[in-house]
Amino acid sequence: MDAQPGLDDQYRRSSSWPLFVALGLVISELGVLFGVIPISVGGLVLFIGAIAAAVSEAGYTDRPWRLLAGLGGLLVGVGVLIAVTQASALAPEEVVGVFAKGFAQPPNGVVVRGISIIVAGIAGIVLALVGPQLATTHR
Amino acid sequence: MDLSAQLALTVLMGVFLAAVAMALSRLEDWRTYTPLTSGGGVAGGESGYITREKPLGLTRWLTTVDHKDIGILYGVFAVISFAWGGLAVLLIRTELMTPAMDVLEGLGGEAFYNGLMTSHGITMLFLFGTPVIASLSNYFIPLLIGADDMAFPRINAIAFWLLPPAALLIWAGFFLDPMTGGAIESAQTSWTMYTPLSIMQTNPGVDLFLLGLHLSGVSATLGAINFLVTIFSERNEEVNWANLDIFSWTILTQSALILFAFPLLGSAIVMLLLDRNFATTFFTVQGGSPILWQHLFWFFGHPEVYILVLPPMGVISLIIPKFSGRKLFGFKFVVYSTLAIGVLSFGVWAHHMFTTGIDPRIRLSFMAVSLAIAIPSAVKTFNWITTMWNGDIRLTAPMLFSVGFVSNFIIGGVTGVFLSSIPVDQLLHDTYYVVGHFHYIVMGAIAFAGFAAMYYWYPIVSGRMYQKTLARWHFWTWMIGSNITFFAMLLLGYDGMPRRYATYGDQGAPFSVLIQNLHIIASVGAFIMAIGTIIWLYNFVVSWYEGPAAGPDPWDLREYGMESREFEWHADRLETAITDGGSDDQSDD
Repeated sequence: MDAQPGLDDQYRRSSSWPLFVALGLVISELGVLFGVIPISVGGLVLFIGAIAAAVSEAGYTDRPWRLLAGLGGLLVGVGVLIAVTQASALAPEEVVGVFAKGFAQPPNGVVVRGISIIVAGIAGIVLALVGPQLATTHR
Repeated sequence: MDLSAQLALTVLMGVFLAAVAMALSRLEDWRTYTPLTSGGGVAGGESGYITREKPLGLTRWLTTVDHKDIGILYGVFAVISFAWGGLAVLLIRTELMTPAMDVLEGLGGEAFYNGLMTSHGITMLFLFGTPVIASLSNYFIPLLIGADDMAFPRINAIAFWLLPPAALLIWAGFFLDPMTGGAIESAQTSWTMYTPLSIMQTNPGVDLFLLGLHLSGVSATLGAINFLVTIFSERNEEVNWANLDIFSWTILTQSALILFAFPLLGSAIVMLLLDRNFATTFFTVQGGSPILWQHLFWFFGHPEVYILVLPPMGVISLIIPKFSGRKLFGFKFVVYSTLAIGVLSFGVWAHHMFTTGIDPRIRLSFMAVSLAIAIPSAVKTFNWITTMWNGDIRLTAPMLFSVGFVSNFIIGGVTGVFLSSIPVDQLLHDTYYVVGHFHYIVMGAIAFAGFAAMYYWYPIVSGRMYQKTLARWHFWTWMIGSNITFFAMLLLGYDGMPRRYATYGDQGAPFSVLIQNLHIIASVGAFIMAIGTIIWLYNFVVSWYEGPAAGPDPWDLREYGMESREFEWHADRLETAITDGGSDDQSDD
């Protein structure tokens, strides 16, 4: 419970994260369903960031960053899977080329959603990489 | 969506995330700010001890993981939802007092009526029923089993915080309709969301509605996992399976039902969203068939009824003995009946589908199991009556509501037994008879038990006693109002009035005068209940601030030899507060 100093330390029965886990899930569901990339990316980053922080605060991990990177990787995998469903064959060039469908006119909606989830995953991984540095300088 | 809109949204999202990050850095670095003052100062003047438990003011409620606070949050949320669902139904009942579309004409006519009806059903079941039970169980299960808190306090908070956005999404169509000039309307699918209608309604309000429902399902599932783990692993060493209280038993069973039922609803909703937005064919006539939706929906939907009724039954089984001065008659058999209902509830779903043309042999088996579930329900009913038999009855408000529960449950239950019979259902299906039957259960029984529990535990939560006369007024308005409304509905059903219609009698049917009179009677009952609800709200709010102190044993349970763990905890808390020379952390709850 006491791995990271924060709200949870001072107030035994408080945590900043649950509200943001919930908000993150709501925003990401909205973004992904309606295919609005900024909303789904923002929502998913908030969602996995808050999960990693809550898990770390609860003492299941020492630091949130590796879990955050893992969740980011999971999103990248899910996003790729969703996009690849739109490939006409499982040949390597088809699988790589499928992402172009997200930028075609009109764009393939499923690929757009896949890309948004991948971008969110990459953002999560980047956050996990720069986070420790930021946290050190901040404290 | 064009590029500039995407850019604008990106900037907006960036600003939002930056605001979240700033709020978090402020919260997470709280320790560097607080030692100088007592906190946010919103509730200033309280003792320094408080700040060790949780921060003050709004921050406390936004960040709390205390099961008691979360219970209160669920309660407040449930009351707001109850008001929404209640206002919706008052509009519906006002419209139905005349055969033609007139009262709601200016607000959108039949479409608005359909939206209200859909919203009323979903709100009362998912945003009032489930949360009001969660409110009681969050506050009292840890106290009843002697646990410090729930097993996963943060997941508990996540489960609650999913609900307000879920509610906003479910109601979104009503807000967005005027804002978008009617491009987004309220969902008009009815709470059952039957396909192909729910696929054909292209209105994005339905997508928002489905997302909200999905989120409320995630919330319920998270809560259920938490209760299962809490009751299994967080019990005080003195509490074993033999002396576990009846309310905890019902919450345990309910949580297991949620765990099996809600994920299925979530999956079915995702499939429906895919059908609506991605041209899949799970529930289309050419694809998986609309009947598949009904199977999946009711495989969730019927257990949902028991998810809603089992904990109220637990509440009744807990309260009736306290005011009868006797132990619960046949405690073990009430527990066995609870478990039996839990198991059987998954084997009755197709009785909602007797008229869809499914195989008669399947219908037969579902009729048999539906009839069988009357047995454990009757065992409970007889045990409640036998508990009261020759008892030292004290007709306090919680007891009145409990007796009201038993009375209404008998009418709702017996009409349910009739409906489970295929030939009766063939005639009464989709009539007001069904509406009357399930309202006797959900309002007459479940809501009555919810309010019985609120009155019973009000002294613990608020530290004060409500006004007893007003509570009696509340009970009698509800008892009379509910029976007027729902009995009129049963009669309407016998007269062939179909459910879900905004208008009636325009075919020149000979019985339309009788139907209109019955509709007027039903509406009068609804208004009587509305008056009772206002009395209740006034009573609870005023008593919260001005009611007399309840003391350690507000129901004289010790005198009657009816001590229970949550009231012992309450007495301990008061005693600790007095010896400390000040209020403790909960005194402002």
